[in-house]
Amino acid sequence: MSEPVISIDDLSVSFPTDDGWVHAVRNVSFDVEPGEVLAVVGESGSGKSVTALATMGLHPSSASITGQIRFHGRDLLSVSEREMRGVRGNGIAMVFQDPMTALNPVFKVGAQIAEMLQIHSDISKAAAWSKAADLLESVGVPEPGKRVNQYPHEFSGGMRQRAMIAMAIANGPDLLIADEPTTALDVTIQAQVLEVMKAAQEATGAAIMLITHDLGVVAGIADRVVVMYGGRVFEEGTAREVFYSSENPYTRGLMSSIPRLDSPKGERLVPIPGTPPSVLSPPPGCAFSPRCVYADDECTESHAELRSVGSGSSHRSRCHKLGQLTEALAGGAS
Amino acid sequence: MQEFRMPRQEPATVSVGEPGTGGHLAAEGMSIKPKSFGRQTWDRFRRHRLAMIAFVILVLLIGSFWVVPFFSPFNSTDTNIPDMNQGITSKHPFGTDPLGRDLMIRTMEGAQVSIRIAAIVAVVSTAIGTLLGALAGYFGKWVDAIINQLINLILVVPAIVVLLVMGIKWGGSPNQTALLVAFISWIVIGRIVRGLFFQLKETEFVQAARAAGAGSGRIIFRHILPNAMGPILVQITLVSGSAIILESTLSFLGLGVVPPDTSLGKLISDSKGFIDTTPSRVLIPGAILTILVLCLNFLGDGLRDALDPATRKGRE
Amino acid sequence: MFAYAARRILATIPLLLVATLGLFALEASVRDPVAELRVSCPKCDDTAFARLTELYDLDKPVLDLSNPANSRYIAWLGNTLTGDFGTSTSQGELPVSDFVWARAKNTMILAVPAFLVIASIAALLGMYSAVRQYSKSDYAITSLSFLGIAMPTFFFGLLLQVFWGIWFHDWTGWRPFFTSQMHDDSLSNLIKSIVLPITTLTLVVVATESRFIRASMLEVIHSDYIRTARAKGLSERKVILKHALRNAMIPVVTIWALDFAALLGGSVVTETIFSWPGLGPLLLSSIFAADVNMVMAIVLFVAVLAIGFNLLADLLYGVLDPRIRIH
Repeated sequence: MSEPVISIDDLSVSFPTDDGWVHAVRNVSFDVEPGEVLAVVGESGSGKSVTALATMGLHPSSASITGQIRFHGRDLLSVSEREMRGVRGNGIAMVFQDPMTALNPVFKVGAQIAEMLQIHSDISKAAAWSKAADLLESVGVPEPGKRVNQYPHEFSGGMRQRAMIAMAIANGPDLLIADEPTTALDVTIQAQVLEVMKAAQEATGAAIMLITHDLGVVAGIADRVVVMYGGRVFEEGTAREVFYSSENPYTRGLMSSIPRLDSPKGERLVPIPGTPPSVLSPPPGCAFSPRCVYADDECTESHAELRSVGSGSSHRSRCHKLGQLTEALAGGAS
Repeated sequence: MQEFRMPRQEPATVSVGEPGTGGHLAAEGMSIKPKSFGRQTWDRFRRHRLAMIAFVILVLLIGSFWVVPFFSPFNSTDTNIPDMNQGITSKHPFGTDPLGRDLMIRTMEGAQVSIRIAAIVAVVSTAIGTLLGALAGYFGKWVDAIINQLINLILVVPAIVVLLVMGIKWGGSPNQTALLVAFISWIVIGRIVRGLFFQLKETEFVQAARAAGAGSGRIIFRHILPNAMGPILVQITLVSGSAIILESTLSFLGLGVVPPDTSLGKLISDSKGFIDTTPSRVLIPGAILTILVLCLNFLGDGLRDALDPATRKGRE
Repeated sequence: MFAYAARRILATIPLLLVATLGLFALEASVRDPVAELRVSCPKCDDTAFARLTELYDLDKPVLDLSNPANSRYIAWLGNTLTGDFGTSTSQGELPVSDFVWARAKNTMILAVPAFLVIASIAALLGMYSAVRQYSKSDYAITSLSFLGIAMPTFFFGLLLQVFWGIWFHDWTGWRPFFTSQMHDDSLSNLIKSIVLPITTLTLVVVATESRFIRASMLEVIHSDYIRTARAKGLSERKVILKHALRNAMIPVVTIWALDFAALLGGSVVTETIFSWPGLGPLLLSSIFAADVNMVMAIVLFVAVLAIGFNLLADLLYGVLDPRIRIH
């Protein structure tokens, strides 16, 4: 087995706020293997975006951060800012949520893509611009020769996100972090942008860390899934394992709250009751326990560990009721 | 013509988002246990130490303008020629003027006048500015066009010319001076309120109220105005500060209040010829004036931070 | 762009007409020279009163809609449109335009260097305190600008005068700057006489401008595209100087244009304190003397400056911000 592209090990991130410390990420560990698409799924406040920003070294400077983020074996949390700059946009690139605001309004799109190339190599300006046009073409932007000379406001939302992807893959990164890349787009555009990302990944061989709250987005594209809740990893496994044999009440709750085309007629969507935990004063035990129908005293008093579901499998889940859950849920669902 | 500058709105956008959630955390998608808006504002305001200190100094200072005269053995009109033109003495801590009047009591009374003018300006310009700004912002179209032209009309002539010419004609008493200053100052509040109403009338809660059949008056006063109170409050503190400066500048140029009334600006103006012999006579009222305005501005700044989660600390 | 500028200028014309009419009427009614003369000169005969009435056109109303030709305002307007601003009643019946032009040049001697100093200091302070938000230097700069905003111009001007003119001289026996009047007999004297007025102007304007620039810069620094620029691997220096600065300066250009126009229009308080022979003191004395032609000429000059620079700012806005295209 090859070495992971990125290996997040016991990562914790906290911020000081006016109302006290917010522990946004708590002891998170997972790997991204070369060429795979790993989806990091969670609701607002689950810590998924903070994890992504920490990987880029773009977390707020006031944050307190512990653990390791190893990129090809090198801990990015202990390298100098200068070295980190060499990684950003080169080894690891990022696509942000809102393409309407992520591009600089006063520079031409071509200049912004060309800049990405020029930062990390000694390419001439003319060559960078011509490569920028090629990149736009590769992500399906029509008339790239004309488009490079346009400003972001002349692009539609979907086209801007394509331009962001073109910029992100410009230097052939090993890892592409996409933070809710489709959330701000129309539904019809979402699928196109996902396709573009998938195609770009196949062309460059980059691994993708896809941050999303939308399981629908995950289903079509992800190889593996990490489910986060309250700053912790709640479940981790292949897309198949997580989708079809989830061993976690939270994941199952998420899935029964999304509409499916193949669900039996008349079946109701079941929302998860309650709201995500407060980041300032999370519940004492399992963070999900206040919303979990199967929670008992054990759950409200102590944290569960992340445990392997089957022997030898990569499928892991954080639940006190691991093993007893299948029967309980099966009983509950029938 | 730059001296008569109004408080300038900084380009920070006015947030009309959910007031119950904290700044960047809300943006990051994290939820924070909601506290009541007022409570949270007060908490943040208290944490804004400078604003809190400014508030305390302001209360003490303004209080002293009314309390100190009680304990003074002098009367502001008692002349005493042998004691004229003194600097700081134990008998006259602020010195005396050319008629031998005690300057401490005169400074207190002048400060009272300055505060009174600031208060009148604040009330009048808030009333006019809020009314016209609300009408312009809410109804838009020709109502907005007319009010906008009215503002432009006043602004096309430099404010100082407007104030000086009108001051000669209608100035004199503190109340008249205050009304003149308010005639210029309401524009600041009018513009802010107009902008707020433009934003707020498109929000969902206003649309919902309209869908529920609420009339324009009800929407303006019950739905939009309460949400605009924060920024208006900030502007009131800033306008009060600028009113004190405007009045003092008018008095300095020979308009503004006339004897027997006095004001901080008038005291400085009357004493400027004595700045080389008894500088304290300029420095004391000048310092009081500056501290007053400084505190009002810090207060406004603190309120702005407290009311607008988007600009507060920790956003980074 | 030319059509846009023309439209903008045309739109201000009705505004200027109403504003000048209002000011004209107000200023003309401030004093009644004949009544004053009756009081001050009981022995004067009717020729003096007739002379005064003719000088001030007192026999005509300000605006007579039934007979516009007999209106003082219409007469003034007609003359002004042909470039004749009339004669001064308070300055020996000489042409107003000569005075305004001579004083405007003196004002410019203060305004141009003052603007250059103000713009560069404000930009440096504003940017620095935005980039180092919540640092000690940010607090220091912020506190100083609050002080500058809170301190009335005339008080600061008096402080500078007493400090450099008296206290500093008492300690050192040396007066490095002139504290009053324009000394233009040599360049070094001219520089020595502009330092204190410019410092006075600078404090007030820098204080507001640096706050504005800081806020503008902060908004940009926290925007998504700055995060994108960092994610590209750009150095912080380049992120700020290339990506943030260009965006942050867009609204600042307007402020600079307006402040420059205001400085060129003269400053009543600063110039009066330092006895600078600029437009400000002339305006002040003309208002008190009810010298309508002089007041109107100065106000027109200032208004045209403001309108012109406002337009210039809008055109620059369109150049700097590709999202705005002016047609």
